[in-house]
Amino acid sequence: MSKELIRLRDLCMAYDGELVLDHLNLYINDKEFLTLLGPSGCGKTTTLRSIGGFASPSSGDVLFDGVRINDVPPYRRQINTVFQKYALFPHLNVYENIAFGLRMQRRADPGDPSGRRKTRLPEGEIRERVMEMLEAVSLKGFENRRTDALSGGQQQRVAIARALVNRPKVLLLDEPLGALDLKLRKDMQIELKRIQQQVGITFIYVTHDQEEALTMSDTIVVMDKGTIQQIGTPEDIYNEPKNAFVADFIGESNIIDGVMVRDNLVQMYGRQFPCLDGGFSENEAVDVVIRPEDIDIVPVEQGQLTGTVTNVTFKGMQYDIIVDFRGFKWLIQTTDHSPVGARIGIKIDPDGIHVMKKSRYSGMYGDYSSFSDEYDELDVAEPEEGGDET
Amino acid sequence: MKPKLSRFAVPYVGWLALFVVAPIVLVVVYAFSNDAGGFTLDNFARMGAYAVVFGRSFKLALIATAVCLLIGYPVSYMMSREGPRFQRVAMVLIMLPMWVNFLLRTYSWMSILENNGLLNQLFQRLGVLALYNRLTGAELDFFPLMNTQGAVVLGMVYNYLPFMILPIYSVIVKLDISLLEAARDLGADGLNVFRRVILPLSLPGVLSGITMVFVPSVSTFAISKMLGGGTELLLGDLIEQQFLGGAYNPQLGAAISLVMMLIVVVCMWVMNRFGEGEEQAVML
Amino acid sequence: MRRGTNSLFSRVFTALVFLFLYAPILLLIVFSFNAGNSNIVWSGFSLNWYRELFRDRLIMQSVYTTLLVSLLATAIATAAGTFAAIGFYSLRRRQRALLNTVNNIPMMNADIVTGVAMCLFFVAFFTFWSDFAAWFNGIQGAVTLPTRLTLGFGTLLLAHVTFNIPYVILSVGPKLRQMDKNLVDAAQDLGCTWMQAFWKVILPEIKPGIVSGALTAFTMSVDDFIISYFTAGSSASTLAMTIYGMTKKRVTPKINAISTLLFVIVLLLLVAVNVREALLERRGAEGPRRSPGPVARALDTPRGRVLRRCAAGGLAACFLAAVVLLTGATNAQPVVNVCSWGEYIDEDLITQFEEETGIIVNYQTAESNEALYSLLKSGAGDYDVIVPSDYMISQLIEEDMLAELDFGNIPNYSLISQRFKGLSYDPEERYSVPYAWGTVGIIYNTSMVEEPITSWSAMFDSRYAGEVLMFRNSRDAMGIALSYLGYSLNTTDGTELREAFQLLQDAKNRGVYQSFVMDEIFQKLEGGNAAIGAYYAGDYLTMRENNEDLAFVVPEEGSNWFMDAMCVLKGAPHKEEAEAWINFIASTEANLKNMDYLWYGSPNQEALEQYPAYYEELYGEALDPEDYAIIAAPPEVLEKCEVYLVLPMEIRKLYNDLWTELGI
Repeated sequence: MSKELIRLRDLCMAYDGELVLDHLNLYINDKEFLTLLGPSGCGKTTTLRSIGGFASPSSGDVLFDGVRINDVPPYRRQINTVFQKYALFPHLNVYENIAFGLRMQRRADPGDPSGRRKTRLPEGEIRERVMEMLEAVSLKGFENRRTDALSGGQQQRVAIARALVNRPKVLLLDEPLGALDLKLRKDMQIELKRIQQQVGITFIYVTHDQEEALTMSDTIVVMDKGTIQQIGTPEDIYNEPKNAFVADFIGESNIIDGVMVRDNLVQMYGRQFPCLDGGFSENEAVDVVIRPEDIDIVPVEQGQLTGTVTNVTFKGMQYDIIVDFRGFKWLIQTTDHSPVGARIGIKIDPDGIHVMKKSRYSGMYGDYSSFSDEYDELDVAEPEEGGDET
Repeated sequence: MKPKLSRFAVPYVGWLALFVVAPIVLVVVYAFSNDAGGFTLDNFARMGAYAVVFGRSFKLALIATAVCLLIGYPVSYMMSREGPRFQRVAMVLIMLPMWVNFLLRTYSWMSILENNGLLNQLFQRLGVLALYNRLTGAELDFFPLMNTQGAVVLGMVYNYLPFMILPIYSVIVKLDISLLEAARDLGADGLNVFRRVILPLSLPGVLSGITMVFVPSVSTFAISKMLGGGTELLLGDLIEQQFLGGAYNPQLGAAISLVMMLIVVVCMWVMNRFGEGEEQAVML
Repeated sequence: MRRGTNSLFSRVFTALVFLFLYAPILLLIVFSFNAGNSNIVWSGFSLNWYRELFRDRLIMQSVYTTLLVSLLATAIATAAGTFAAIGFYSLRRRQRALLNTVNNIPMMNADIVTGVAMCLFFVAFFTFWSDFAAWFNGIQGAVTLPTRLTLGFGTLLLAHVTFNIPYVILSVGPKLRQMDKNLVDAAQDLGCTWMQAFWKVILPEIKPGIVSGALTAFTMSVDDFIISYFTAGSSASTLAMTIYGMTKKRVTPKINAISTLLFVIVLLLLVAVNVREALLERRGAEGPRRSPGPVARALDTPRGRVLRRCAAGGLAACFLAAVVLLTGATNAQPVVNVCSWGEYIDEDLITQFEEETGIIVNYQTAESNEALYSLLKSGAGDYDVIVPSDYMISQLIEEDMLAELDFGNIPNYSLISQRFKGLSYDPEERYSVPYAWGTVGIIYNTSMVEEPITSWSAMFDSRYAGEVLMFRNSRDAMGIALSYLGYSLNTTDGTELREAFQLLQDAKNRGVYQSFVMDEIFQKLEGGNAAIGAYYAGDYLTMRENNEDLAFVVPEEGSNWFMDAMCVLKGAPHKEEAEAWINFIASTEANLKNMDYLWYGSPNQEALEQYPAYYEELYGEALDPEDYAIIAAPPEVLEKCEVYLVLPMEIRKLYNDLWTELGI
């Protein structure tokens, strides 16, 4: 997990004068499962495409194993991609789709001592590797099928097999699960993680689904507007979001304006709450993140704050309760049922309170008085970034 | 990196400039010049004398287009409702006549429509003619079918009907079934599904069909010569006469062509306004 | 759409439409097996026309030209169109929209405008080129550029390619847009270079579009007449052009035969393709896809790739060479381009001439003197030998368009009867050698008129309303009216001409004329579709073979007698060959053959005298003296007749204006 494999240095990308990537710096370790996470248009697919070689950066470098590969065409990179909607070749069957990359490969002819003559892979080896791959993705017996006769999940696995059969050092996955239904998606998440561990190579995964990111990744890179908002392990990102954007994008969050009275004491709604954060100047205005599951409902008199329940939704494992505190609506996740209209008190443990510096995202997120933006965004497929390919 | 794909268009853009745009520019130049090559508007001033020809051409072409639409639309609609095998065969059958030269097919109509032609012989044999004479008191030896405007329209309809059927069919056949089901679900009966969903959605095909029939109809010359007996001069005849016919006057011919071209531009403009205008005319 | 839900009524309707589409074609096919040469009267089954077909050079040559130009144009247009479509596809929307509009022009524009525009363009270019080449050859001596370019196969091909490409783009474009954009990336990702991705992924993906585009283009090419008509010039003639030449007279059932053959071949091909597709479809999802065959695999090795590149380069070079050869270098073999009238020669003579001299004859036809004049003026016609009539010859001399003949190369000129030498159109005998002569008269159907016709009055008689066929050319039509009124055919008196015009217009308004015709008159009179028509004496005899009821008269008021003579155009590239041809045609033997074929009078004194004997020997029966008098009108008839003379410019303009007025 330690060796650095890919480094993006000051990567910029502009389409039609609009900056899609803004001085991106990122390194990716060998055998790492790294996820680029962000909403549509955040630049995550563009980042992936510049690693894959399908987009050339306006400035900055892409380094692979310390070598600059900006101008290396995709077919010379030891990187393979699983495309959005798979991009299986409709005119080839499953077997030929998977064998495609192998048929393109040339290697030094063992019969030529100078090593300059290249030869194609023998048909037997191709067959062996394809069948092995088919088995790995549990598609044995499907080799003669037409790709359009497969289900979404099967097509997905063909796409993965087609990429992995080439034994790349890095596999790029561009929203590969976007077209699958929820159940299948969950299965495939686990499957992908298993495959990654089995083949032991770097996966760079692009998604806008934070849950997917949290489930599979070793490292998550949260992006927005062409810049990286935060890099970290899933736990870091979830527990210690750097700003309101990350807090909101990862999981559900109540984000409240606060004032840092002093270290370990933050003031919201005129009340002071003990917390574990420090390092702010005195009376600095801050954003306070409180995860819905970190809030306990208590009788009114014991509560640090009191509010009115305006909406209750049963979610199976818990209830989602919207509570109105002086016009600001909080989301609380709890196993206890409270009826709409009830006055309740809440209590927040110090480790449930996370204080962040003010950022340009302050005030944009965290209010549950209406449906959050992210609900809408979930179904919107990522539009082609940068418009026409030229 | 992939090469700049748009470069692929460059040679053809050159080709277009050379063999499509330049010749048309030349037509424009001719239209505004006299015998000696000087500038003149005379050619357009003389156009007034041909108003009758313009009128006649437009009338006949409009009728032919309307008839094509009336025949072509139902046929396309019915074809789209048959099985895939039938559809494929029908498409082939519609394209196939184009493989017999249109002059020859038109010529064949001459032998059908002539006063002594097959149709009149048939009418005589079946006694239709006698019946007609008895009923109306006329004394016809034959029905005058040839050398009429009707025959010219028939020639146009016959030759250009496939150009109406193909675009309409290709649009209708691509209609999403769920749209029709949605319409039914929302309470539309068969007629309403057709009127409110299928018809508006097939409009691009109809428009492109109309253009594809109207333009050649309005500019035809062989058909009017063969079936119209040369008594009903059409625009195409007029142009041909100026270039290769008895009255050599390429400047006037260019002017008439130019006016006709403007009509085509208007047609295309109308078409593009209604639809996206790219995929509509797809044939086969 | 829901399938198979049509009512019986709508199915019957569809069936009727198909019947409508196929009735004329069926008729054509049926009559290709007719023993007789009619398209209406069935006289028994025969394969004769198919046999004849393969002996007909004109038709076979045009079929060859048609197929060659269509195939070449389709191949070029398919390749160019596919690349252009890919280019268009990757352009920004606005540029694409603009280009698509321009691209649509050849498709949406009226064919006649496209044809005319290209014709003007080519001619303008040739003019520019000859100046350029002359200048270029002047300043240096290393390379000699040909100064003279002409319309021909090259321009025909260019025109076809131009109007074919849009169809290819139109059917490839949507396929490209339907294609998953990531496919190319995926292929590159898997190790393809861009070119490999193009061959292995893009091409197979858009193949259906390419195939249907190519098919459409080919169909359009084969079916096209109008654009070819304007761009082919004199040395190439497509089947459509040949047919057009024939529809004016009588389409020989040989054309039915060749059309039937083409139709059946295409039908079989389409059936085969469709059956194959249907089979593939039925095999459906489990259908094993073939892995690349051994050849494809062999071509994919590094050496194979070099091979492939060489092959592609070679192919392209061959292509270019072929185009260049076909365009310019036809001079390699001696050629003579002849333009004459429809069915105006015994084709055996062409073969005989070619065998004797090794000179290839490109034999073309024009519709009328006026049409010929237009062809020459517009540059569309590029001939060596033409056969215009008297008045047109003097007009061409006047406009300095004819070359003086070298009679040393035409010894047979001495065989021409003194009567036909030094006529008014060429008094000094410098430009022309007579070809054939005849009179204009009335041909009528004795079973359809009440009394024998003797006067031009029949041509204006309301009794025959709707039964009369009038010339579709101003000179002859006006000439008839002038004759009837007792004026000279060559009058330059405006009031006399007005009077004649009034007569025609009045008759037209009364509905006397069924139609205005040229060679269509054959079919109409032979089929009994009209009672009376004015035409040439020799043609009457041809018609009578098919309809015994026809009779001919040179009206008592007098008429026109005409002389068609062979001339060579100024600047003709093959003047010597042209003179060889003229000499050959002027021989007694050729004149006899032609006289027998045409039934027009021969200008060759010996031929004229020997013809009755020649006829008797050939057919085993004596020639009816009356028929001989019709073929070669005796001097007393000729005395009543007048030859057309060239009219002054302003009178020609008046003719044109009056004619246009009549046409409207």
